[in-house]
Amino acid sequence: MTPSDTTNTSDAMPVAADRQSLMQRLAFSSEFGLVLLIALAVVIFASTLPGFTSPFSLFTIGRQIGIDTMIGLAMMAVIVTGGLDLSVGAIGVCSAMAFGWMMESAGIPLYLGIPLAVLFGAGLGLLNGAVVVRSGVHSFIITLASMSIFFGIMIFLSQAQAFRAMPPEVLGFGKMRFGGLVSALLVFSIVVCAVLSALYRFTSLGRQMLAAGANPRAAEISGVRTGRVFIACHMLTGALAAIAGLMITARTGAAVPSMAGHLGQDWLLPAFLAPVLGGTLLSGGRVAVFGTFLGAALVNIITSGLLLMRVGEFWIQAFLGLMLLAAVLTDRARHKLLQRQGMI
Amino acid sequence: MTAALLVSQVSKSFPGVRALDDVSLTLSVGSIHALLGENGAGKSTLIKIITGIHKPDKGEVLVNGTVVHLANPRQAGAAGIGVVHQERNLIPRFSIAENIMLERLGQHDLSVINYDHMHAEAAKWLKLLDLDVDCRMPVSRLSVAQMQLVEIGKALSLQSRVLLLDEPTASLTENESKVLFRVLRKLADDGVALCFVTHKLEEIFEICETVTVLRDGRNACESQPLKGLVRADVVKMMIGRAERISQRAPRPKPDAAPYLELQGYASAAGHSKISLAVRPGEILGLYGLVGAGRSELAKGILGMTRRTAGEVLVAGQPTNIGSAADALHRHGIGYVSEDRKQEGLILLHSVLGNVGITVWRKIAASFGFLRDQTVIDHTSPVLRQLEVKTPSIHQIMGNLSGGNQQKVSVAKWIAADVKLLIIDEPSVGIDIKTKAYLHDLIHELAAQGTAVLLITSDMPEMLDVADRIVVMAGFEVRGEVENDRNYERVSRVIMGYIHERKAA
Amino acid sequence: MANNVLTRAFDNDWIGPALVSVFAIAIISFFQPSFLTPFNIFVLLSAIAVNMLVALGQLVIIGVGQMNLALGSIGGLVAISFGAMMELWGFPPVVAIVCGLLIGAAAGMASGFVIAGTGISAFIITLAGLQIFKGINLGITEAQPFYGIPQGVKDFGNLSLIGPIPWLVVPTIIASIAVWYLFARLRIGRYIVAIGGNRNAAELSGINVNATVIWAHAISGLLAAAAGMMLVARLQLGHPTIGDDWLISSFAAPVIGGAILAGGHVSVPGTFFGVVIIAIITQALVVFAIDPFVVQIVLGGLILWAVGINRLREVRVSKLLGQKA
Repeated sequence: MTPSDTTNTSDAMPVAADRQSLMQRLAFSSEFGLVLLIALAVVIFASTLPGFTSPFSLFTIGRQIGIDTMIGLAMMAVIVTGGLDLSVGAIGVCSAMAFGWMMESAGIPLYLGIPLAVLFGAGLGLLNGAVVVRSGVHSFIITLASMSIFFGIMIFLSQAQAFRAMPPEVLGFGKMRFGGLVSALLVFSIVVCAVLSALYRFTSLGRQMLAAGANPRAAEISGVRTGRVFIACHMLTGALAAIAGLMITARTGAAVPSMAGHLGQDWLLPAFLAPVLGGTLLSGGRVAVFGTFLGAALVNIITSGLLLMRVGEFWIQAFLGLMLLAAVLTDRARHKLLQRQGMI
Repeated sequence: MTAALLVSQVSKSFPGVRALDDVSLTLSVGSIHALLGENGAGKSTLIKIITGIHKPDKGEVLVNGTVVHLANPRQAGAAGIGVVHQERNLIPRFSIAENIMLERLGQHDLSVINYDHMHAEAAKWLKLLDLDVDCRMPVSRLSVAQMQLVEIGKALSLQSRVLLLDEPTASLTENESKVLFRVLRKLADDGVALCFVTHKLEEIFEICETVTVLRDGRNACESQPLKGLVRADVVKMMIGRAERISQRAPRPKPDAAPYLELQGYASAAGHSKISLAVRPGEILGLYGLVGAGRSELAKGILGMTRRTAGEVLVAGQPTNIGSAADALHRHGIGYVSEDRKQEGLILLHSVLGNVGITVWRKIAASFGFLRDQTVIDHTSPVLRQLEVKTPSIHQIMGNLSGGNQQKVSVAKWIAADVKLLIIDEPSVGIDIKTKAYLHDLIHELAAQGTAVLLITSDMPEMLDVADRIVVMAGFEVRGEVENDRNYERVSRVIMGYIHERKAA
Repeated sequence: MANNVLTRAFDNDWIGPALVSVFAIAIISFFQPSFLTPFNIFVLLSAIAVNMLVALGQLVIIGVGQMNLALGSIGGLVAISFGAMMELWGFPPVVAIVCGLLIGAAAGMASGFVIAGTGISAFIITLAGLQIFKGINLGITEAQPFYGIPQGVKDFGNLSLIGPIPWLVVPTIIASIAVWYLFARLRIGRYIVAIGGNRNAAELSGINVNATVIWAHAISGLLAAAAGMMLVARLQLGHPTIGDDWLISSFAAPVIGGAILAGGHVSVPGTFFGVVIIAIITQALVVFAIDPFVVQIVLGGLILWAVGINRLREVRVSKLLGQKA
């Protein structure tokens, strides 16, 4: 049956067709698959690994899920445009270090320092976005350069020294748990997910981001200022990366230059893994905010399970690489399916 | 004598569209054949079948009397069918010789390339083509015309006895075309069968012997000798007679001041001396063959190409429209693109996501807050009015039929309440019922006071809908005619404008 | 005619970087005569030798219009395998080198295979590859270096051939000439660049795009492997972190050398001078006792600058063409 047939016949039975497409959408949705996989993983690990369900274990898994979700969301916000941002890690660390400096050296109050640090991240994103949009060069090479520049400046200014004198509230937030097992960082990341969902669903800007990402030419002709919208996407990425950096600061109680590895490269894998697993299209125009959360959850649940099974920490890295491979292969299959249905 | 290439009663359908219906074509050795047809007539589908990109549903392709099954472009090449595509298929930084010989750089991957042999081989072809350049030069330094010749050389060097040229003169100057024609003539005399696709009618009378015209996926004529035909005959075959003489009475002439006026407009896209005006409540047709610069003019009005001279007046005020966003949000100008997939709609998103895109900014509450329901409230009357058939407003756009897609791409501008709507080829790829409906809709819009600029190459459509017709050719305005719905008279005047040689 | 000379000068990728190199050396040695001491030259050449191989590894992939994020992790994996083979299994260095090269080529080929087979962007596949190869590396070593490197290998990495010229330049010179020859004379090399230049046209001309892409990645892996093993010789140990910091410079050098990131144009001499510029700047920071992390800032700036210059040059050339047409 060709797509046009569907629509022609559906005239007579709109309800049935709607339900069918809803069922279809649910069955093909990556969220649904992820929930199943998460449930499966939890059942297996909980029944075979005694330590898995201990409150502390659940707390630490949740905390890491929260952080990885934020890193994933940061990348997702720019994947929307069909581009990418290699400098998320560098922006995250730079913002965290800026926050550390404000707390330790500049004596700025905590509740002013947090928004300033997030703004700082957004500002770095603005630089990326402006150069990408103005030059027309692909975001890969621009953010490769900016990753090196941001990180280099940060190390130069900080002399690679960590800021450890944090207000107690910072570490307190990192340690906070609800009901003895739910990390505050996890709850916070779910709140951010809700805010981002609202952005994409309920605001003009969010809709314009999706439209410009899916088909920039059509969006431009329809009156969307795609250049500005793309810059806004990069700024959002910067802000979310800054939040992720602050969350890590809260977890460790210090802003450490090496918290994302050399040049912030260590964030790249979680940054792509969660959104791609969650069903964000790499070609742009479609996001999966809670999918990203579920993707991060699946990754961390499996990682923790494997760690408890005494699979070496390093082999888990290789496993994550394989997982990214599996995720993009699924993404490709989904893309093909959409294509066959004439949606792309 | 058997035909060098015979396409016999080929049919091809795509979901929802019958692209080719029983089409035939014969190319004979040593002659130049013209393949003509307006956009959407099926030319490109036919070329894709001959070059192995599409497989026909029905019918056969014969080379030298033998049936061939072409599964991919490689096989077409092996069967001796060479193509020069409209888009350049050269490696820009490679030398001319290397581009010509790309298939034969060596036997296997580790072969060492013999550049001397390659240059000698390539030079032979350049000589045949009268191309007097060093074959070691990178093709990126050649003019478009020279690149074209290199591609022809490349095709010939593969022992092609049939050569298809898809609009080879589209970006050539008159002199460059002359050179090309001389080469083509020479090739034909050497026994190559040539098929020449073009929109420039003068050219076919200059070099072609036979002609095939396609219209709506059918043969309007099949391999007919051009001798004895005049330009008007060919044009008539291309655009056809009116399927129905319009029943509409001429509408009262609006006397309001023009909403949009161009005075001596020129653009970076190549327009010059364009002057026209469209009033509220008026439907101004913009007629011209493909390549006349009409869609480009629409984009110029939207501010997407730079204006280099002249004035643009909106509601009497000289303005400078900087972007499509400006055009929509400041001046209420909308554009229904002819390219629905690339420029009109976001197929990946829902009907709601498409129909609302023009109004999001306007209807959003503070902080850009915008609920689906607000968009639905604002757009569903329009969707209902246009009878868009969709199972749900959340249906993915790509799942709708062509006609309904087109309705949505018009609906989004009506929802935005534009004062001027530019509609580019509204009936490409849609069924007759929707087409008639769209025509009524355009009239209705005009009756409500919208200024409409209608771009179409479909003469009956133009005569059915427009009040007044501006004729374009070569990125210029050639003339203007009042549409009194006298098909014979108006179409004659239009064709006269188009083919009137520029007084040089 | 003058036009022609002008376009040719614009087209020439290596003259600019070469002039910058000479200029930089002149300025630095004017302010700091010790810059050109034999020891400094030796250090400089050793760094150039290794980085040139890394840059060539990326250059091949840039030529085909892709990118290889896994370059460093392949180099690292081969480096520790090289160490392990000699320390744990007592392989003679020559055998270990051959095995190391094979591992590198196989790892590259695996990435190429997945990219060609699925059509997924090289970026994401090589990101996964980066993680997988790095994971295997750390899984084997548990982040501990291999110290049992034979004396001959250590000597190769640290002794001089003549005067201030290290032995390390020998494999680099051979590899550079080989890659130059590949791109200039061999069918496979021309095909790689053809695909980068116009994939569609290459496909229509019957070039087997998938096979060529796989070959390009295999060559890239081979060069990364060579670079990894040379670092083992230079550092005198098989360290698991080898390759971690190759990413930026592997792109910087080819781009400074005029390579177009969209593919279709590479320059081995240009890349060489790109490597030289980076090495001089790095060395100069040491000589002037400037914070070595400034290198990162300079590298990033150089990439942006080079991308800008390359774009400008394209515009200039097309303008010249425009006048001609």
